[in-house]
Amino acid sequence: MSFSNLCAQIDRCAYTNALAKSNPTTKVFFALLTLILSVSLPSSLVPAIVFLTTTVLLLRFAKIPAHFYLSLLVYPTIIVALSCLIITLFFGYGEPLIEIVLPWFRWTVFKSGVMMGVTTFFRVEGALSCLYFLVLTTSMTDIFITLQRIHIPKILIEMSLLIYRYMFVFMEVAARMYTAQKLRLGYSSWQKRIRSTALIAGNLFIRTLEQGERTFMAMNARGYDGNIRTLDDLPQPRRVSFIGVILFNVILVFVTLLTINL
Amino acid sequence: MIRMLFRLENVSYRYPDGTLALDGVSLSFEKGERTALLGPNGCGKTTLLLHLNGILKPTSGKVYFEDKPLEYTSKFLLNLRRRVGFIFQDPNDQLFAPTVRQDVAFGPLNLGQPIDKVKKSVDEALKTVGMSEYADKPPHFLSLGQKKRVALAGVLAMQPEVLVMDEPTSNLDPRASIEILRLLLRLNQEFGLTLILATHDVDMVPLFANKLYIMSKGKIALEGSPEEIFSNTELIRSVNLRSPRITHLFEILRRKNHLPVNKQLPLTIGEARKEILWLLNVKMDKKEKVNSV
Repeated sequence: MSFSNLCAQIDRCAYTNALAKSNPTTKVFFALLTLILSVSLPSSLVPAIVFLTTTVLLLRFAKIPAHFYLSLLVYPTIIVALSCLIITLFFGYGEPLIEIVLPWFRWTVFKSGVMMGVTTFFRVEGALSCLYFLVLTTSMTDIFITLQRIHIPKILIEMSLLIYRYMFVFMEVAARMYTAQKLRLGYSSWQKRIRSTALIAGNLFIRTLEQGERTFMAMNARGYDGNIRTLDDLPQPRRVSFIGVILFNVILVFVTLLTINL
Repeated sequence: MIRMLFRLENVSYRYPDGTLALDGVSLSFEKGERTALLGPNGCGKTTLLLHLNGILKPTSGKVYFEDKPLEYTSKFLLNLRRRVGFIFQDPNDQLFAPTVRQDVAFGPLNLGQPIDKVKKSVDEALKTVGMSEYADKPPHFLSLGQKKRVALAGVLAMQPEVLVMDEPTSNLDPRASIEILRLLLRLNQEFGLTLILATHDVDMVPLFANKLYIMSKGKIALEGSPEEIFSNTELIRSVNLRSPRITHLFEILRRKNHLPVNKQLPLTIGEARKEILWLLNVKMDKKEKVNSV
């Protein structure tokens, strides 16, 4: 159950990192605005700058252990690198970069294809680092409250709130079922493995329905009327930090303009 | 004067699947009292409790709160649920919010209290249960005992007059359960909260309750003070329960070893201690008499 372990680790990080107490609105604003610019500006330098900035913020300021951050980056990076390699080798048009001509086969790598592959790679990595910045420094509670402040539909927030809380409850349940099956040799062959996993999935589904009913009852007992109200006792963000975030993004735009002119 | 808080009149409840969980239950809970509902698993304790704040509506019969029959309208129920706090057996059912503070605030916010007052009630409730330092933690960081206390705080923050609890000490280690019990007793003594609790923990009952109902198969089998009920060992066994261990010991000492134990058997360690000291004194007196003669 390494996935549940990872979730728990990220969650713990969000509550304990050195930036946990800094204003969540600023962090969400920074992560989202930078993310949008980093994927939409036509430059591969911008996402690279974004990646470096967020990495420094995470390691130096939030004091996230470097090996943990790296372990989070490794798998997505491998997948992205492979996909981008394919883009580089097989996509593009116009000016060819390399051309291999064999009697029965002709293969061209285009300059624009390489550009596209590289840009995509940087964009994904930049976006990834923005999201990691958000989830590693900001607790889900803070994110929910911030989303509420910017008027994201209530239904979405309420659903995420319940999913977040009960995800951990059900990960525990699933882990217990898994151990119980394993102790009775439920994973001793390939077929048994499939069967046992299916049983966990089915059982969990039924459990969620039951849990939903009980939670609904418990919420009713405390006067639930169809609205989950949350206590918004977070301080308003400081204007200075907001301006800082905007300045950073303005610089990103300038960088794009400069590199495009070149 | 003791006032009647809840009165159940011939209440029956049948679950949609056809199980008759309550079968003509009549009983009453009095203000300021500590009542325990004792019974084996599946005897209908939880079902009965869920009638007290209108989560379940009796199939037949009536529930009265302060001599008024329960109305199942949202306005009536909101008011009832403010005054009657309910704590579920599994705190995971109750704790749904991402942090302890948010969860405790849920009730007061539903009552429409102003934010400052909500914050105050939340802080006070967390302080009462001794969980202030965990306010910003998510529930999945807490132990079961801590979760139970947070669940209690979530209800206390609504400033109820009655606490209804389903198995408050189940699955807790001895220390955590005694802490919860002490807390409950304090709430009863300091704030005059009426406590109604369901349990199958026989040894806990005499420490806690001054009134006891024994349930069996959806019916009230016995009713009285713990002293009255636990002295009737045969009857207790007939409903698949037992006396507290310490009571059982003294019963055996009386029956098999013919020790001159008081007719009223001790129910708690404290009472047993008194009894033993008394018995020793008796013996020592006799010995001294023998020696002197």
